[in-house]
Amino acid sequence: MERAPQQSSDSILATFSVDLLIQILDRVADSRDRKSWRQVCRGFLHAEALRRLSLRVLRLEALQGLLRRYAACLERLDLSACPSLDDHALAAALASGAGLWRLRSINLSRASGVGWRGLAALAKACPHLEAVDLSHCVGVGDREAASLAAAAGLRDLWLDKCLGLTDVGLAKVAVGCPALEMLGIKWCLEISDIGIELLAKKCQNLRVLDISYLKITNRSLQFVSSLRKLEDLSMVGCSHINDEGLQFLNNGSNSLQTVDVSRCENVTSSGLISVIEGHKYLQDLNIGDCFPELAPLFLSKLNYLRDSLTVLKLDGFQVFAPSLKIIGLNCRNLVEIGLSKCKWVTDEGVSELVAGCVNLTTIDLTCCHLLTNKALVAIGDKCKNLTCLQLESCKLITDNGLDCIGTCCSNLEEIDLTDCTMTNAAMKYLSRCSELTVLKLGLCDKVSDEGLVHIASNCKKLRVLDLYRCFEVTDDGLAAIATGCKRIKNLNLCYCTRITDLGLKHLSCLEDLHDLELRGVHCVTSLGITAIANGCQHLTELDLKHCHLVDDAGLFALGQYTKNLRQANLSYCQVSSMGLCNLLGSLKCLQDVKLVHLTQVPVEGFESALRASGGRLKKLKLLTGLRHLLSPGLIQMLQARGCRIRWVDKPLNLVP
Amino acid sequence: MDFKLRRPLEASSNASSSMMSEISRNLKPGLPFIPCDSTNICYGARQEQSFSEFPPPQVTQCHGLYAREQKTETKNQLEPSSAVNDLVMDWNPRLMLSNLSFLEQKIHQVQDIVRSIISQEGRANELAAQQQLVTADLTYIIIQLISTAGTLLPNIKNALLSATPPVAQTGVVANLPVNASQKHHEVLSVELAKASEYDELIKDLNSGGEGDELIKCLNNSVAEVSESIPIEDHDIKDYDDGMDGENLPPGSYEVLQLEKEEILAPHTHFCLICGKGFKRDANLRMHMRGHGDEYKTAAALAKPSKEASSEPAIIRRYSCPFVGCKRNKEHKKFQPLKTILCVKNHYKRSHCDKSYTCSRCKTKKFSVIADLKTHEKHCGRDKWICSCGTTFSRKDKLFGHVALFQGHTPAIPMDDAKVSGMSDHVQVGETTNGMVANMGYNFSGNASDDAQSLDIKDVDDGQGYFSPMNFDACNFGGLDEFPRSAYDVSESPFSFLSTGTCSFIPRNGEN
Repeated sequence: MERAPQQSSDSILATFSVDLLIQILDRVADSRDRKSWRQVCRGFLHAEALRRLSLRVLRLEALQGLLRRYAACLERLDLSACPSLDDHALAAALASGAGLWRLRSINLSRASGVGWRGLAALAKACPHLEAVDLSHCVGVGDREAASLAAAAGLRDLWLDKCLGLTDVGLAKVAVGCPALEMLGIKWCLEISDIGIELLAKKCQNLRVLDISYLKITNRSLQFVSSLRKLEDLSMVGCSHINDEGLQFLNNGSNSLQTVDVSRCENVTSSGLISVIEGHKYLQDLNIGDCFPELAPLFLSKLNYLRDSLTVLKLDGFQVFAPSLKIIGLNCRNLVEIGLSKCKWVTDEGVSELVAGCVNLTTIDLTCCHLLTNKALVAIGDKCKNLTCLQLESCKLITDNGLDCIGTCCSNLEEIDLTDCTMTNAAMKYLSRCSELTVLKLGLCDKVSDEGLVHIASNCKKLRVLDLYRCFEVTDDGLAAIATGCKRIKNLNLCYCTRITDLGLKHLSCLEDLHDLELRGVHCVTSLGITAIANGCQHLTELDLKHCHLVDDAGLFALGQYTKNLRQANLSYCQVSSMGLCNLLGSLKCLQDVKLVHLTQVPVEGFESALRASGGRLKKLKLLTGLRHLLSPGLIQMLQARGCRIRWVDKPLNLVP
Repeated sequence: MDFKLRRPLEASSNASSSMMSEISRNLKPGLPFIPCDSTNICYGARQEQSFSEFPPPQVTQCHGLYAREQKTETKNQLEPSSAVNDLVMDWNPRLMLSNLSFLEQKIHQVQDIVRSIISQEGRANELAAQQQLVTADLTYIIIQLISTAGTLLPNIKNALLSATPPVAQTGVVANLPVNASQKHHEVLSVELAKASEYDELIKDLNSGGEGDELIKCLNNSVAEVSESIPIEDHDIKDYDDGMDGENLPPGSYEVLQLEKEEILAPHTHFCLICGKGFKRDANLRMHMRGHGDEYKTAAALAKPSKEASSEPAIIRRYSCPFVGCKRNKEHKKFQPLKTILCVKNHYKRSHCDKSYTCSRCKTKKFSVIADLKTHEKHCGRDKWICSCGTTFSRKDKLFGHVALFQGHTPAIPMDDAKVSGMSDHVQVGETTNGMVANMGYNFSGNASDDAQSLDIKDVDDGQGYFSPMNFDACNFGGLDEFPRSAYDVSESPFSFLSTGTCSFIPRNGEN
């Protein structure tokens, strides 16, 4: 934190008026640049505060201060990274924000400590609240929904996996917030037809509705079908819904564009036909894993959607070449097709498909084992706009297939080659795709440093690199990546056993690195970890399982520098009580920690370390043996704060 | 066959003419008539009117009437001939013929059923079902006959009117069955929704001279046809009051008055002749032997069949032994009770202590145990409460209510001890917003033992926040009523505490 020196009156910065500063600020897009801006001087900070519309809080302690500064203009507040947030913290923050007059959207996802008091305070303090995300707050129930219902202007509401929510809570929301446009109640298992019926009657403006995994029946669909403005309906895994229910959607009174019925095991072709017939403007149809075989009638009915359909997902079907041909003929505007785990997808079929659908940008061919290079040639030949290609476990394709892809599809952004027999030559071909951001090479054990050098030479935008079990990769390869792909965010190096501290030292220059997996990289010591902690201060997830040489020194470094660390797997590391205590005590963001087989840590060590964590943990993995050794008070305290403890019972296995 | 066809027709017309006086009683203004009967009254009135100024209004009236009958007939798909529209004065023999042939078919059907009964000698319930079928069919045939005969009426009527001037009532009488049967058509086709209308209809038929049996048959048949009539409503309970307008002419039935002790005895089987009660049907049958040889036959002793033909021809009604009761035969406007069960229930409900108390709510009391059981089925189930205070025993009913009324929401079921004070608030019935505020306010007081407040205590790490009380005050004290500056002044982490309390006080003032 460099503070600007005492500002002299003739400083050039003082001459800029606030509105001019704001004008300049508007042109600063990158968050890091904005951070530098804030640190220039008080005037700049003030200008930024006036311009700040959204805020994502990483540390709860800072919340009050931040809100005091930004409350006036803030429109979006994201507190999902503060799972230890509770009613008091929220109320205090809202009080210090002194009425967030403009706040429209708040994300409280996974903030399981927030209850009805906090939500009532929120609804009171933010009169213009439009969007609330409470997903995965498993404690949220009817009373919380009732508090939320006081926010009458609510448009978007996400309540996924709010396990306590019943029809009553839903009714509260439906009556209190009649303007609702988007609603997610996925996994709210208590909700039944009665609740959906009332919802459909009260909230006529619903555009997006997610009722996945509910135990609702066809009757619900009858009422859902009366929602005239409904555009997006997700009902994944609703096993009580069948064709009869889909018939209700046939009347076409709503403006459905996106329908997701995947995993609805009782749905068949005829039900889908009625959906298609009712909605000529359907754009997105996901019917994965519903029933095994596509009926010819269904395929021919796709002709109805000739102009509109852009996304079609058929995961898990038996798709023969003629079917793909018909799809290719009928759905000319298809942009995305999902054929993941489809049986009988052949080169011929893919060729027929892409011959018709030349606009395809995303092709998912995961586990289509029969495909060979011919298919890739056909794709490269026809789909010039391809951005995403998933080829996991297509074992018959070889380097030559990617030659064509690399040459023809210059827009390729994402490719998954996990478990394909690729070599460095393939990397050379792929390096032509300068837009590449996601590259997955897990289990491609023939890829070595040479291949990574190719990638690093041209793929500057790479964000995700998966080198899981690429044994050949060494420190040199990482050096190349670290110099060539500066923006890497996720890096998986699990079981790349030849990597040492030196490699990590190279990686430490990756400032964007968020997620690093070093599982089973047993040559790595605390030295390398210290280098990473020092350089990659944004690190949020770190897996050090089976890094036997990592000791307290590494943890000290992590505790000191990686303040944003949220998940850590320290199982089998040689850490002691002191290191663990220090780590858990100093990392304020740590939520999820796995501490299996820490042989150097005695029970007292666990006890004090977990107490030091101060109830911030949400997930904890411990050996079953500790269950009765740890003090019951501690366990109670952890669980009362919403921490879920997974007790595992596995033998000490030092070789990964 | 012809004879068979004609006989009921004659019978009905005879009956109707003989029951003249009752019908005129029926038309008395004092009696409660429901809309269904308005045509009936109208008709009568017109009839009388038409003495002075003769045929023209008559004609239109008839026309309207007949057109309607036409319609209902086609609805029933009895006779879809439409060429009868201009049939005003002279009837259409073809229609009549087709009606009759239809009836003939019907009778054949009934014959077949009866034959099969004879040949089968089947099991008891099968037999009962067949008997029911036969009675239903016969009822239907009778009604058809009446209506068919009704098509002849204008001619007859005119003839009568011109022949004997003071026979206004005859016209009415002759017409009545027509009306009644017509209404029955409507019942069959339109599916009468209200039981009361149906009852009225029964009364009409009844006053038209058809016996008790016919009513029963109609009761059965109509209940079968129209599902919208809840059948239970006709039984037991409603009989008590439902008989109010039965209007049996005094003397046309035998009145039996049981003694108080007899009524209150825990008997369920009563002798139809002397009224003695028995606990078991077998005992009753043994008792019946004393009333005559006809009860000594094997059939009478063996089976307690409801339809057992040995029912006495005399209509029997019952009187309440409580002097001064409207159901007592000494009462001026005596209204008899129809069955012994009615007597029992009436006497217990009206003249006995309510000794059965509901074990759940401890407040509701009943004198008839069946009433208690009915109540207990629903008592305590009213766990679904609306914000307006209305309670429901079923969730879907509550949600239907909520869907119907703007701003109503289901109240959250309050099961925990901490919210014991809540129920009052729910009952009072406020608007949604007010309710939320009140909830919060109320909770703050007795939230000490809830999980949330456990958290509160734990959190207490030096910052010494505020008690839940203050917290709520700050929440619900109307943050939006105060300008921001109020908060900006104080920078300390306790600022909200002061703002909370300061906003709390005015809130109280408002209230």
